Amino acid sequence: MSAGRTVIVVGGGLGGLWATLTIAEAGHRVLLFSLFEVMRSHSVCAQGGINAVLDAKGQHDSVEQHIVDTIKGGSYLANQPPIKSLCEGAPGLIRTFERLGVTFSRTPEGLLDQRLFGGVKKKRTCFAGASTGQQLLYGVDQQVRRLQADGRVEKHEWWEFLSLVKDADGTCRGIVAMDLRSQELQAFRADAVVLATGGLGQIYAPKTTCSTNSTGAAASRVFQQGARFANAEFFQFHPTAMLGEDKTRLMSEAARGEGGRVWVPRDPADHREPGRIPESARFYFLEDWYPAYGNTVPRDIASRAIWKVTREFGLGIGGGDRVYLDLTHLDSAFVSTRLGAILSIYRKFAGVDPLDTPMEIFPAAHYAMGGLWVDFERDERSGGVKQDSPRNHATNIAGLYACGECDYAYHGANRLGANSLLSASYSGRVAGESVAAYLQGLGAGSQDLPAEPFDREVRRQAQINARFAGAHGDQNPYRLHDALGALMTAKVGVVRDNGSLDAAIAELAELEQRFERLDLGERSGWANQSLAHARQVFDMVKLAQVMAASARARDECRGAHYKPAFDLQIPEGKYAGDPEYEAYRARWKAANTRWLKTTTAEYATDGPRIGFEDVDLSLLAPEEPRDYR
Amino acid sequence: MIRANVELRIRRQDTPGSAPYWQVFNAPVRERDNVISVLMQLRQQPVTADGQRVDPVAFEHNCMEEVCGACAMLINGLPRPSCSALIDELDHPIVLEPLPKFPVVRDLIVDRSRMSEHLQRVKAWIRIDGAWEIHERTQRQSQQAWARNYLYSRCMSCGCCMAACPQFGPDKAFVGPAPLAQVRLMNAHPTGRYDSAERLHAIMAEGGLTDCGNAQNCVRVCPKEIPLTTAIGELGRQTTLQMLKDLFGA
Amino acid sequence: MTASIDNTHFLLRRLHSLFGLVPVGAFLVFHLWENSQSRFGAAHFNETVVGGLQRLNYLPFLELFVIALPLLFHAGYGLAVIGSGRAEPLRYRFLRNRWYWLQRISGVGLMLFLLLHVGMTRIAGMFEPSIRADLFGHMQQSLSQPPVLALYLIGLWLAVFHLANGLSTAAIAWGLTTSANAQRRFGWLCGAFGLLLGAIGMHGLIGFLAAAGGAA
Repeated sequence: MSAGRTVIVVGGGLGGLWATLTIAEAGHRVLLFSLFEVMRSHSVCAQGGINAVLDAKGQHDSVEQHIVDTIKGGSYLANQPPIKSLCEGAPGLIRTFERLGVTFSRTPEGLLDQRLFGGVKKKRTCFAGASTGQQLLYGVDQQVRRLQADGRVEKHEWWEFLSLVKDADGTCRGIVAMDLRSQELQAFRADAVVLATGGLGQIYAPKTTCSTNSTGAAASRVFQQGARFANAEFFQFHPTAMLGEDKTRLMSEAARGEGGRVWVPRDPADHREPGRIPESARFYFLEDWYPAYGNTVPRDIASRAIWKVTREFGLGIGGGDRVYLDLTHLDSAFVSTRLGAILSIYRKFAGVDPLDTPMEIFPAAHYAMGGLWVDFERDERSGGVKQDSPRNHATNIAGLYACGECDYAYHGANRLGANSLLSASYSGRVAGESVAAYLQGLGAGSQDLPAEPFDREVRRQAQINARFAGAHGDQNPYRLHDALGALMTAKVGVVRDNGSLDAAIAELAELEQRFERLDLGERSGWANQSLAHARQVFDMVKLAQVMAASARARDECRGAHYKPAFDLQIPEGKYAGDPEYEAYRARWKAANTRWLKTTTAEYATDGPRIGFEDVDLSLLAPEEPRDYR
Repeated sequence: MIRANVELRIRRQDTPGSAPYWQVFNAPVRERDNVISVLMQLRQQPVTADGQRVDPVAFEHNCMEEVCGACAMLINGLPRPSCSALIDELDHPIVLEPLPKFPVVRDLIVDRSRMSEHLQRVKAWIRIDGAWEIHERTQRQSQQAWARNYLYSRCMSCGCCMAACPQFGPDKAFVGPAPLAQVRLMNAHPTGRYDSAERLHAIMAEGGLTDCGNAQNCVRVCPKEIPLTTAIGELGRQTTLQMLKDLFGA
Repeated sequence: MTASIDNTHFLLRRLHSLFGLVPVGAFLVFHLWENSQSRFGAAHFNETVVGGLQRLNYLPFLELFVIALPLLFHAGYGLAVIGSGRAEPLRYRFLRNRWYWLQRISGVGLMLFLLLHVGMTRIAGMFEPSIRADLFGHMQQSLSQPPVLALYLIGLWLAVFHLANGLSTAAIAWGLTTSANAQRRFGWLCGAFGLLLGAIGMHGLIGFLAAAGGAA
């Protein structure tokens, strides 16, 4: 094998670290780039758990059911072979994590415990208290540190990825990055680049559960250099986030998986303390509307239900944007052991103990199902993806791979809870294997290339920096970010309509124009955060344009993308076999022929070019509409 | 909803080598704001109390919910994550300084790379053959053992314990409480145990466990309430036994 | 891999800790008990207690190897330990942190006190046979000067604190106490031990003075 190549991994969350680990173990040298120490990546915020069928709870769970739940949870929009391999790979991944020292919660017999999550009926979620993402990330982080100590991984923390360097054939041959302290721009050569830069929730800031570094800027930058973006309109709003002016902190779906109930007072004028409101005066709307799944319906459904109860029925607590998430009826010792981490977050930031008083929550921007378009190679025999194919997780730019939340691969129109830690880890591993396969077939390495393309890209980035730093206007980058968040929250949110989307597209164009009148407010040549932030916000605006344009182009309701004007309502009280339901099913299937397509976006200077491509439905034909009643 | 203004006294420093200086700001505060969210508001209009337009204050932030460890600083003299430092619960004026014992990068940003170096020094990892699937069942572990280990696995390397430790500092060899707690954690893992002698020898060298002076500030300032001094006691026991093994044969 | 026997750092630190307890700490206990005999009068003290000790075989060796050298090592290495830290008793107003600071202060204070104390008794006795012959009288005379008495009171309590707190931290260092509760419980025990030891010491000091009043 052609060992000893150099690979750049950008991003040190679960996806990036798994890719790093896999590539380094294949014998290649990895340069790992991150905006900060990798262990602070947003993966640490994942709370509830990671899905894997272990069938350890006496419920006859099966990998097939995990596949079906994931496909249907995503409204059939995800390609099915990758989902199959993902679900099949999950138990092995859990066992590997356990070997790395991850402190998974245990049953009294000392086995891995599992709990219930949304959109499924089986306890399938492994967890480490309510800080699962943190534990998983640290497990891989420790391994990467071990490889670093052995000289096989070189970390470049406090470096920001700015752009790809491509050779004359358009193959990715390295990157240009900026030292966030010295502001130095430097080109780094690599034989392959893996982008694992996470989500983009900051586009909705501050109404998001995402970390302040989840900007999507890196994905936007490669998009602007020709990488395709897919399913950008599918963005998940987590139903249960804390209220907050600076951030809407996540309260894990595990809270409901462990028995938490969502309700509002039946009478919005009922101002009694929640504990004093009797059962008869409470409206458990999720349990009412979806008796089969109750509080653990998928997130898009739960978020819309909360939206409906507050915005349409005016039943929010005190008439506002808030509903109760109630744990007070559960055993407090049990809840403390299983959900301690989120209880502590709520106590610290809301000043109220969820064991005594129901939490107040509302949906908030959480997770991008869409992302960089990545390829896969179907294995005709297994129906999954072909092991060690260099096509898996490859973007349309040769030599550039993407994994983790910044790709679009597994979740379709809506992600099921606890599938993200799984897809981040699994896709990092697969992308790593794929890169190793790609390097085997690669001819001349990037070290042999002339300096010209690298120097040129450094010069281009220096010019952009100079333009941002030298602007003498009145637009503060942090205020531009606020404006972007407010605009996207209002017009490209939980519920959408074409009028608002058209307005959003126009306003985003205007927002982009405002960068001409930028005022960084600081001239420092050392650790200038305003410069880095301004560049991120600009690229976020470019990505927001893709999201708005993709949402505008899709005239239907699917998963997280909800346009009431095009809603096909399930006839109330009717089920399969009833003529009304069958008529609905026929309408739904007809709509699928038009809309069951991956949305793709390509960069053009005058705005993204939106297209559609077929979804690989080779495992489960879309016969059954999603129905969680 | 701006509710009031709060006085912030911030120790600033332009570059690692330059002299620190103080600036006072009157920053707007909203309901349930914390130090980070106030700093975020402030950077939109960085004007000092005496009306001088200055560079925005540089500071670190990421998760805003006390799991990433990025935003630790000295708040009214004590080290803590600034995201969970609610304005209403602090004495005013609020005094912000960079986390001590680590080199300042700029303003409230410090370089904590020593923490990662120390984690390397104590070999805070499980030595696996490879991260591939080996088709073997997971090992059993009691809920009680899990509960003890889980406490240590929540360390987010924020550096508060290091900053408060009288034995840790830029010119001191001491490895610090956080990496020691990771040795405790790794030595308890069913396979991590195989390398426990190596880890113990690492912390029996200069700057290791014996450099702890038992001031126990670490456990008092740890935002995640990690029982660092219990880890230190347990490692005391492990190193005592290791010493006897070294002296008299295993 | 450097085993602890190849790297003296760990062994030296543990030796420092050990010597603080045995023999130095143990000698302090014995010494305070011995001096508490003062209340039985000059004759008993000089003849039975001091005389008995002075008649021990190999006494100089015992004094050198069991007391002086371990004490010198503990003190000298202790200075190095003090140099390895920087106390902030005002910033962190936690009990253990204040004790950390006081342990170091008391260590240095004790060194100064012991220079004076050993110089005034054991060293001076080498040149002045009358001190050896009537140690009780010598002590009585010294302690009746208020500054000397004050110095002895301070020295006594510094020594008692240093031993009691040292015992409680040694228990953590050696791994006897691990959980916070165990450390707290043992801390109380050490506190009680310290108070008892201090009381014995006070008893001895008062003995010299009270017996002085009686003899006059």
